Amino acid sequence: MPESTNKGSSIRTSAPQPDAGANGTRPPRRDGSAIGASPPRLDAADKASGRARYADDIRLPGMLHAALLTSPHAHARILGYRLDAARAIPGVKAIVTGADLTGPRAGGIIKDEAMVARGKVRYVGEPVAAVAATDMATAERALAAIEVDYEPLPAVLTIDGALADGAPILHEEFASYVKTIDGGGHGNVVFESSVIEGDVDAAFARCDAVVEGTWETQAQHHVYMETNGCVADVDAAGRITLHVTCQSVAHVQQRVAEELGEPMARVRAIATKVGGGFGGKHASNIHSIAAWLARAARRPVKLVLSRTQDFEVQRCRHPARIWMRTGALADGTILARDVRIVTDGGAYADESPPVLAFALLMSRGPYRIPNVRATGCAVYTNKLRSGSYRGFGNPQASFAGESQIDDLAVRLGIDPVTLRLQNAMRPGDTAFGGQPVASCIVAECLERVRDAQRAAPPLPAREGRRRGVGYAVMSHVSGLMGTAAALQLRSDGSVGLSTGCVDLGQGADTTMVQICADALKLPMERISYAPQDSDASPYNWKTAGSRSTYMTGRAVAVATVEMRAKMFDHAAELIECSTADLELKPGGVIGVKGAPMDVTFKQIALRSLFQSGGPIAATHGFVFDGPGFDPKRAAVNRLAFHNLGVYTFGAHCVEVDVDEGTGAVEVRRAWCAHDVGRAINPASCESQIQGGFVQGLGYALTEAMHWNAEGWLTTVTLADYKIPGLLDAPPEIHAIVLEDPDPSHPVGAKGIGEPSLVGVAPAIANAIRDAIGARVHTLPMTPERVLTAMDLLS
Amino acid sequence: MTAPRHHSTLVVNGETRDVLAPVSATLLEVVRDQLDLCGTKRGCNHGVCGACTVLVDGRLARACLMLAVDVGDRPVTTIEGIADERGLSRVQQALVDAGAIQCGFCTPGFVMALTALLDANPHPSRDEVRSALSGNLCRCSGYIKIVDAAMRLAGSPDA
Amino acid sequence: MNYVAPTTLAEAYRALQADDAVCLAGGQSLVAAMNLGLASPALIVSLRDIAALRGIETQADGGLRIGAMVSHAELAELGPSAPGPELLSRAARVVAYPAIRARGTIGGSVALADPSADYPVALQAIGASIELGGRSGTRMVSARDFFVGLFETARATGEVVLAIHVPPGPAGAGAAYEKLSIVAGDFAIVSVAAIGRDRLDIAVGGCGPTPIVVTGVGASDEALLAAGRALAASCDAPSDHRASAAYRRRVLPELLRRTGRTALERASA
Repeated sequence: MPESTNKGSSIRTSAPQPDAGANGTRPPRRDGSAIGASPPRLDAADKASGRARYADDIRLPGMLHAALLTSPHAHARILGYRLDAARAIPGVKAIVTGADLTGPRAGGIIKDEAMVARGKVRYVGEPVAAVAATDMATAERALAAIEVDYEPLPAVLTIDGALADGAPILHEEFASYVKTIDGGGHGNVVFESSVIEGDVDAAFARCDAVVEGTWETQAQHHVYMETNGCVADVDAAGRITLHVTCQSVAHVQQRVAEELGEPMARVRAIATKVGGGFGGKHASNIHSIAAWLARAARRPVKLVLSRTQDFEVQRCRHPARIWMRTGALADGTILARDVRIVTDGGAYADESPPVLAFALLMSRGPYRIPNVRATGCAVYTNKLRSGSYRGFGNPQASFAGESQIDDLAVRLGIDPVTLRLQNAMRPGDTAFGGQPVASCIVAECLERVRDAQRAAPPLPAREGRRRGVGYAVMSHVSGLMGTAAALQLRSDGSVGLSTGCVDLGQGADTTMVQICADALKLPMERISYAPQDSDASPYNWKTAGSRSTYMTGRAVAVATVEMRAKMFDHAAELIECSTADLELKPGGVIGVKGAPMDVTFKQIALRSLFQSGGPIAATHGFVFDGPGFDPKRAAVNRLAFHNLGVYTFGAHCVEVDVDEGTGAVEVRRAWCAHDVGRAINPASCESQIQGGFVQGLGYALTEAMHWNAEGWLTTVTLADYKIPGLLDAPPEIHAIVLEDPDPSHPVGAKGIGEPSLVGVAPAIANAIRDAIGARVHTLPMTPERVLTAMDLLS
Repeated sequence: MTAPRHHSTLVVNGETRDVLAPVSATLLEVVRDQLDLCGTKRGCNHGVCGACTVLVDGRLARACLMLAVDVGDRPVTTIEGIADERGLSRVQQALVDAGAIQCGFCTPGFVMALTALLDANPHPSRDEVRSALSGNLCRCSGYIKIVDAAMRLAGSPDA
Repeated sequence: MNYVAPTTLAEAYRALQADDAVCLAGGQSLVAAMNLGLASPALIVSLRDIAALRGIETQADGGLRIGAMVSHAELAELGPSAPGPELLSRAARVVAYPAIRARGTIGGSVALADPSADYPVALQAIGASIELGGRSGTRMVSARDFFVGLFETARATGEVVLAIHVPPGPAGAGAAYEKLSIVAGDFAIVSVAAIGRDRLDIAVGGCGPTPIVVTGVGASDEALLAAGRALAASCDAPSDHRASAAYRRRVLPELLRRTGRTALERASA
């Protein structure tokens, strides 16, 4: 493998060689070391043959079908319900409305919501009632027979509207809501946070060049190919089991138990195969609704959202307005950055507080800027709530920050790559918030994409098109919250592995088995991997935050150490030697170092099960334990994150053609260099990098949710909401997988899920600016916005 | 009152199947709900995503845009009818080997589209591959490895 | 909802006398609308088994009579043709996606008259005619008179689109069809069809409830841009989430120039 030019560094490039055959899967090496190999995914054959079972494929005997009645008003009081006609329809087995809910409100950090609207509706599309019936047609007839009396209220649909004096207030009882973290919310402000280091105002006074700008980003929808849905089953004692497409069985279990007023022991969540998540399949209203109906009807209930309802009911990325100001000395040293971010949280708080927090933390970018003030707030508006979405505030902050770095470069007369390299974080620096970052290869990432673009054969110019090249760098985290892993040794010497990490399609299942196989020197076929079931799986917070390979992978790796120790104890007794003499040998064997005195895993297992010691099992669990924010460096105020870390870095370079006559932007080629710590499965890393790039391209150029003046979401089909298709994605997306291992992980691995998307929009924005000499400040950068920017210039 | 149901006889994956469904029922609904062939997926139900792609009379069709009653005796092939005696077809195996499968929800549709392409044109160019697959959306992969898989098949000597 | 599949046109005309009866051609628009709850006809009259609606006949002058049930894919694969059919074929190639092209029909598309669709624009540039049939006989309506408004045509209730007659176009003419959309295969923001050799007949889509036609445009860039500016000034362009009316007007002259230039380059010397 090529070594980095960074002397003394342990950075390696794990990129496969550039011929077509090598970018695919490769089996583990013969010596059993599975890390760094790219075996086919565990479930690839099932998915290829149509056998993989997703939520809508689940049928249970006696299953009912549920349908949702949703609000036609953006903001209204609910005065009453008339359900008699609906109840009288044969085949209707259960109905739920807000009138049935008497317990406390549910939610994330701010408990401001319920599974169906209580007392008020706050967005068009909010679930108001739900019916379970013997078939869908009957359920829909029942919906049509339900009458709800509303008193419409004035609505706010924009950030400015929400913050205006005298604005209608969405949550009049906000002060009385339970809040696990105080965010200082008031009026329509959900949460306010700030992170401040140094003295920004004094630093600006010393700057030779100051640039300032405001960027606006849009609501993006996840558009996982599989919509949200679940089947809720119930037993004779009323215990609920949900078969659910989700990103965390623990989270679904906890939310459903909370909303149904049940102890978690009476709610079970089992993850089905998941057809994409991207942050849009955390606990949802529909899980609690299906569970409630199943409990009431005493029959299984399927609730799978149609595509249009998924757009209307679920969640979207936070639209944001980012004002930013950056100042530097004439030699390019950046001294100060001032940022204010306002996010549009929609009707319910959901994950607005942590998204805001992360946007602020990422707003400095991977630069050594000593004076930074980042403040912001999230506001309520009468629209679909905004929530978790790949990047989690970082795409918004980076769109502004990485665009502004280019503006600064132009102002200073310095090349944008040079300016970035000059100010890039270095190993030993601190992140914004004061956490030490022992290793950092952002400069190497940027150099690699620059060098790759320069070395690539130039694409011929096209008539009527202007060519541009643009760059962006980014940073993200991989470590947060808690997780655990469990292992057991079976009687034939094979191993059972269980975690609570749901595979959303990114390949987490395969990654965990590879880590385990590598650690135990066992072929992957001899390791079973348990499905995620809240009754059986160890806790995992969520598959989110690019944390699975670092957090759960680390738990798996550490658990294997405990398992190995226990097996060594048995082996030492069987062989009659000291454990210090033993080593793990490939193929499920433990034996004396350098001597043919071995026992197999099977022999150890049989001894443990039938003779002495008992079944061999091992677990490891932990909550993220990296260094926290440093109060001596940063004033962190009301940040909705206790602790996070394990920083990763990346860089994008894109080439675009801009059509001079229409403003249409075509991304021709892209280079994406990402530090993944250690590439457990390089092909999967590439897939994430390529897929994240295209979803980021949609964010940059083609995707936007639109609401009309009455608050109706008008882009509710895939005919109106356009994600990039094959012809819209560049035919070349070069994934450059770099490895700067994290010492706190036994295998050195970090995350890649979100970093792959974060830098795409600003890289494209910078390429457009390079092509046309004008900047677009609003996403998506439609042909119209680009042409308008060109027109303004001339 | 529920809608009247009509009897149709469909030929699906080589088998004659009897179906009782309302006129408004699509081939997608019938295949999934009545014939228990759940490999064909409902991604949008309005003809854009391609996850419901099947073959009707050997040519591509969006199952969500065909009324079951209108299929007649034209043979229907779903993803369940693609694998051969060895387990996975060449196309399916190529996608597995290329690392082109992530969440898998779009995969059956891509298998059908790629199968139809290679049946008609065993050695397509990269542009022909891209065009033939342009109607299948994928949110996970960025499409690169899917095209890689197709190009490997396109160059294969035993096509 | 009921369903019939007549095998003759006479049977179809009889079936269409019923209240709220609609024709089912390829289903790519009708069934999508039904799935979204936007259409719920009482009777579906499938044209699937009517042989008279299939087939492409070459006329003596090189023009084509295209049966209403001919798919976009068949039209996209027309071999070398006279300029009129060539323009239609080029439009067929960029309708939506392969699976839609495999099933969607020219008759269905024409009868629907979606303002963002590709065929109405191409047919108006070519000066095609629509052959309609009903109980009282058949009649021809020129494409330029057929598309009356938003999803509105000159087809009377009970009538069926039988065929589209595409004239050969001027000898040696070139043809071009270009569309601007947010993503590939999407409905057009603006589309332009051009056919001609020394002067061009041009139709524009996406700038009003129906395509706009301008004939006999000069072959120079100046003439094309001027025609585009005149169209832009007078058209009733919509604003939607894809683009504003102002943007459509802004890009129209250049798109017209490009499409015209491409058509002229394809003309034989």
